[in-house]
Amino acid sequence: MAQFPRRQSALLGALFVAQEEAGYLRPDVVAEVAQILDLAESEVVSVASFYHLFYFEPVGRDLIQVCTNISCMLNGCHRVLTRLRERLGIEVGRTTPDGAYTLRTAECLGACEEAPVVMVGTERYGPVTPEGIDDLLDMGSPQTQGPLAPHEEDR
Amino acid sequence: MSSPPPTVTLSINGRTVSVIKGTTIYQAARGIGIEIPIFCYHDRMPPLGACRMCLVHVANAPKLQTSCTLEAAEGMVVRTDTPEARAGQEAILEYLLINHPLDCPICDKGGECPLQDQTYRWGPGASRYTEVKRDFAKPVSLGPVLVLDRERCILCWRCVRFGEIIAGDDALKGFERGFGSNINTPFTLPVASKFIGNTIAICPVGALTSRSYRFVSRPWDNRTTASVCTLCGVGCAVWLDARGDDLTRVRAREAPEINDVWLCDLGFFGHSYLRHEDRLRQPLIRREGRLQSASWDAALDLVASRLRSAGSRVGVLAGPRLTNEDAYVAGRFFRTVVGTAHLDHRTDARAGSVSLDVAWGLRAPIAAIDRADCVVLAGCDVTEEYPVLWLRMKQAVDRGAVVIAVTPKALEVDRDIAHHLVHRYGEGAAVLAGLQAAVAGREPDADLGGVARGRLALAAKTLATAQRPLVLAGALALDAPDGREIWQRLGDLAARWTSTPSVMRGRGNAFGAALAGLLPERGPGGRRLEEAAGTLAAAWGATIAGGRGFSSPGMLEAASRGDLDVLYVLGTDPATDVPDGRQWTAARARVPFVVAHDAFLTATAATADVVLPTLVLPEKDGTVSNIEGRVQRLRRAAPGPGEARGDAVILSGLAARMGHPIAYSAWEEIFDEMRTLIPGLEVGAVLPLAGPGPESQPPDGVRASPRTALHGDPSDPNPVRGADGDLSPEATDAGDSLVLIPGSTLFDQGSMSSRSRAIADLAGAPWALLHPQDAGRLGITDGDPIVLTAADRSIARRALVRPALLPGQVYVPRGYDAAPLNALVDASRPVSRVRVQVLAAVAGAGDEPEGGR
Amino acid sequence: MGEPFLLKYIREADQGEYEAYVSRGGYEGLRKALAMPPEQVTEEVDRSGLRGRGGAGFPTGRKWKFLPKDPAVTKYLVVNADEGEPGTFKDRTLIEGDPHRLIEGIVIGSYAIGARQAFIYLRREFYKGRAILERALAQAYAQGVLGEHVLGSGYDLDIILATGAGAYIAGEETGLLESLEGRRAMPRLKPPFYPAVKGLYMQPTALNNVETLCHVAWILSGGAEWYKAQGSPILVSVSGHVQQPGVYEVPLGTPIREVIALAGGMRPGRTFKACFPGGSSSAILSAAYLDVPMDYDLMKLDVYGSMLGSAALIVMDDTACMIEIVARAVEFYRDESCGKCTPCREGTVWLGQVYERILRGGGQDSDIELLQGIAKGMTGTCFCPLGESVPPAIASSLRFFRSEYDHHIRTGTCDVRAHAEG
Repeated sequence: MAQFPRRQSALLGALFVAQEEAGYLRPDVVAEVAQILDLAESEVVSVASFYHLFYFEPVGRDLIQVCTNISCMLNGCHRVLTRLRERLGIEVGRTTPDGAYTLRTAECLGACEEAPVVMVGTERYGPVTPEGIDDLLDMGSPQTQGPLAPHEEDR
Repeated sequence: MSSPPPTVTLSINGRTVSVIKGTTIYQAARGIGIEIPIFCYHDRMPPLGACRMCLVHVANAPKLQTSCTLEAAEGMVVRTDTPEARAGQEAILEYLLINHPLDCPICDKGGECPLQDQTYRWGPGASRYTEVKRDFAKPVSLGPVLVLDRERCILCWRCVRFGEIIAGDDALKGFERGFGSNINTPFTLPVASKFIGNTIAICPVGALTSRSYRFVSRPWDNRTTASVCTLCGVGCAVWLDARGDDLTRVRAREAPEINDVWLCDLGFFGHSYLRHEDRLRQPLIRREGRLQSASWDAALDLVASRLRSAGSRVGVLAGPRLTNEDAYVAGRFFRTVVGTAHLDHRTDARAGSVSLDVAWGLRAPIAAIDRADCVVLAGCDVTEEYPVLWLRMKQAVDRGAVVIAVTPKALEVDRDIAHHLVHRYGEGAAVLAGLQAAVAGREPDADLGGVARGRLALAAKTLATAQRPLVLAGALALDAPDGREIWQRLGDLAARWTSTPSVMRGRGNAFGAALAGLLPERGPGGRRLEEAAGTLAAAWGATIAGGRGFSSPGMLEAASRGDLDVLYVLGTDPATDVPDGRQWTAARARVPFVVAHDAFLTATAATADVVLPTLVLPEKDGTVSNIEGRVQRLRRAAPGPGEARGDAVILSGLAARMGHPIAYSAWEEIFDEMRTLIPGLEVGAVLPLAGPGPESQPPDGVRASPRTALHGDPSDPNPVRGADGDLSPEATDAGDSLVLIPGSTLFDQGSMSSRSRAIADLAGAPWALLHPQDAGRLGITDGDPIVLTAADRSIARRALVRPALLPGQVYVPRGYDAAPLNALVDASRPVSRVRVQVLAAVAGAGDEPEGGR
Repeated sequence: MGEPFLLKYIREADQGEYEAYVSRGGYEGLRKALAMPPEQVTEEVDRSGLRGRGGAGFPTGRKWKFLPKDPAVTKYLVVNADEGEPGTFKDRTLIEGDPHRLIEGIVIGSYAIGARQAFIYLRREFYKGRAILERALAQAYAQGVLGEHVLGSGYDLDIILATGAGAYIAGEETGLLESLEGRRAMPRLKPPFYPAVKGLYMQPTALNNVETLCHVAWILSGGAEWYKAQGSPILVSVSGHVQQPGVYEVPLGTPIREVIALAGGMRPGRTFKACFPGGSSSAILSAAYLDVPMDYDLMKLDVYGSMLGSAALIVMDDTACMIEIVARAVEFYRDESCGKCTPCREGTVWLGQVYERILRGGGQDSDIELLQGIAKGMTGTCFCPLGESVPPAIASSLRFFRSEYDHHIRTGTCDVRAHAEG
């Protein structure tokens, strides 16, 4: 398969790889990426910090993203979010003490037909109800297919 | 003949103006005196269009346009003063101010703040903003010089773009985004830059301020003097701001042909030594083994009598801290009144080095650097030695030029160097030979000097296609054991383009010292004494001392032999500057009388018999010459301390006591006399570089091949010991030692820099650079205190472990007076070797090394 | 008017497989294209009348014609698959449901402009879409649709799949190019950097949306005349308060009311209150505009900022508090502003603060004028379309739902909410 014509184009991809390995972008991880791509560390941090999906602090094993944009809002995302906060015992932006989950709100995830939409790790779920949250969390790892229908099955 | 550039005619606020095609509306308006407010736009960088402050009304455009980005077009009708345009400008200012703390009364920028000024002129009368302002942690310190206040920042991106476009160091960056955007360094670490002072200068608010100027003065309380920075050899134009007797800050003064509008941080922050409490205020005379305060009369009487009796047995080590006029008076005084032929300003050159055989300086105009399409940096650590020249090279690189660096230590501007050929010290000539052969079509068949043959071939390929190359040779090449061959190779290489390599040697006013005649057998203008003696005798009304003059290493050798009675030192510190410290020690031990002019009690002054307190350059009036030979006006910005005097004044005093008065009423009188002897001398002129070797030519001219320097002069009385020699491992006692690479660094801790706090802090503890492989073998980790030992001498430094040099070597910068490099150098060998150990391992083993904790 | 075709096979489980795609006529358009000179392909697309489906609606054929013809100049085709406009999900649907169609469109477009490399900039959060696309790309390479000698022709093409990292502004074309080059997705100055002249790596670049390229595949397959006869279909993403939210294929110009009906209509017992016809950056339309056709003429309405955009129809019924909706839109743009220009960066913060205060019950009479003033100051002064996306919702909501604002400010409470929940 083809390569990028210029090295810096590989930066976002390299940062994801580094982040997956290290958990988050520690200074030494940044330094390594910078060295590999022959970029200034300042440039690497500057670029990474621009994007929502790079972390400079530890995050949970799974990231839970609740879309709160208009279509999801019209379909009750806040009740879902409230339920999640209660169940996880954390506020938005925080990580559960056991390091399992980090809870975040997200902007439109491009699946408004399934509003309200929640993503756990790389899996997307919707429409999610507060009760569905219970099932989702009870199921443990999102990798395990549970009672909550993943999005690809027709609604 | 080229046709005139096409123009377009437009109307701005009803006035018709014709401008060259490509001109922006903002520039066109400014050209006819119509001011448009700006924040993000800076005329040394391409327009960004981010702040939106410069909105104007353009007829038939659907909305307001940013005048900094809009190119003027034929027939365009622009208004900067319509209600729409005014409303746009007001809106932008109102937005900018909602998150700007109105702490102007305590802000350093107050009084010279574009935001303040533009709010006054273009802003809304009152803000409708009643919400809570953005909150950032109050000022954060980003290293020894920079203080960042993010609440004041209006995100104009100028500082970020300076680092990207002008300096190339990416020192400050924008982090996060949107309303969370903030300028910072990664992880708020100390800023890594040699040019950060410029970001303070171009910050349109008080977000970036300097630690040294914080709360020091209000702009209207500063007295401003147009002068020149003399800390390296570039000779950047500066404004020296003083309040009372104190220099408060240094700012760049626009000089398109030199520093444009920029400075380096040594220039910005390296002048605070002026008022340091250690400044010498009174003459000192050694009595009963101790230097004791004395009157000027007593000191001058003593020196005059010793000079009178020593006559031709006086050696004069002059240096780069003299004005052209000081240097000229020194030449006249010592050659006529004292009657010696031994004068040299090149204290730091190695005996036998090709540096002593060539004129120092840049053989092309500084302004031509940005037009080069290829720059060969041979042992020239440009950002450490002549930082502002790097900014020119960066411009060239951005226009497509390639930089080829042939150097024993990787340069920090690595990302902008297309071919970075890092070689083993002492094998640069081999690398250049390979490069030369490859350019001529003979691909190297082996790696050379540690440089892979493939890389050599690639570099040669680039070089072969160059049209306007610039070849620069620095001390790391010229003073290397194979420096003479390097010089020859570079000369041959440059001859391809009928150009000549430049000798990137000399700091401060070294070039003025050479111009004034502080070289053996050279008079003012660099003329051979044997030719000029008649003219000089007529002009000076005295006989010129004849005979062969010693070079700097020659003087030390002569002194050690007992052939000199007085060593007269001015504007330099040979004890730390000479390549091999033992040579100074031996000379000092043998010579009966040493005089030193200095501003501080340097290592030389501390062992002198008489120390005469001098003014430093920012306290002097006169002229100085820079690396391209440009003569510039130096203006006194502050008075000197105590009884300190100018060097020429001191020498005049001695001349009078010796019965041959040399008296001038002011620097101009000296300058006028110099003009009668140096053709073309005037302020602003670029004079041929003065020095030995091939006769000087104007910088643009074609010169004789530097190869002539190779042949040397068989009757030269100066030593050639330590010249090029066999470098094979067998020739030296290799053992577990490392080859010493004597280097330099911009921020060091010399007599002046250690007393400019910001510079001393930037320099940090004395360091030595090791390859990770050697460090690992020696059990050294980055940051460890280490001891470097050569024979019976040792110094303590901190280990810097980086793969920036090839293994088997250690790079040690000079300029740290507390742990001097020259304690390690053995000038009698082509290369010096040192043993390196972790400090703990030798602690308690006896002698505390110099510079120890 | 023909049968819907864009979504024809979208629910076929095996549509992502090369064999299945080919068996349903896939890659026929590409074969036809490769048999023509490149300029003729561009001409065909131009004649079809296809307009870009990313939001700006610029004619695709004309866009391609802006690129230099010189074969010595390196050119690129870049696919904007960074779908992020709130309410838009048609591109994701196409990627997940018909990936080879997109690939076919990319190869045709690249061939037309003479690009040897094409890039797909895919939204990071589309993990499923990425897996599907990666599989389809691997198949396309294996089957000779990509790589050297595309389908046995003399044309070579590589497609590089890159992902974003969470930034709405990367969907703006020059922000996307910056991001694709590994930088902060901050929009570039236009001019001089129109992508067709100086795009990716400063080379001429065609930027096309996912849906646009899927249309291209169909156009080349059926011909421009056939395509036009289908009524220039568009995909509308319908979401919000409708019974069957989803992507619907309708002829350009279908009235809003009909699109809502296709999506199952309003929820039982609820009535239509307002909608965004083109995502949250379009103006909000009230019930009085239900019969307005969804086409590019929406821009000519008397409502500031009304547009078709990416045809994201967000429907709101009588339970929706307009202050909350607009406040949420403002927050979105605030959080997604790149921070480059002053009005967008600071204006969105200020607007957000005022809306929040009103919703908290701290509204003041002067706030209406203040909101209008801040929005006006952002209008026409921002660097890129993101900042300009904010004023339409504010202006239109103030125009059609002023009484809601007044109620909030006067009482500190929301009567819509009270009514809906009561």
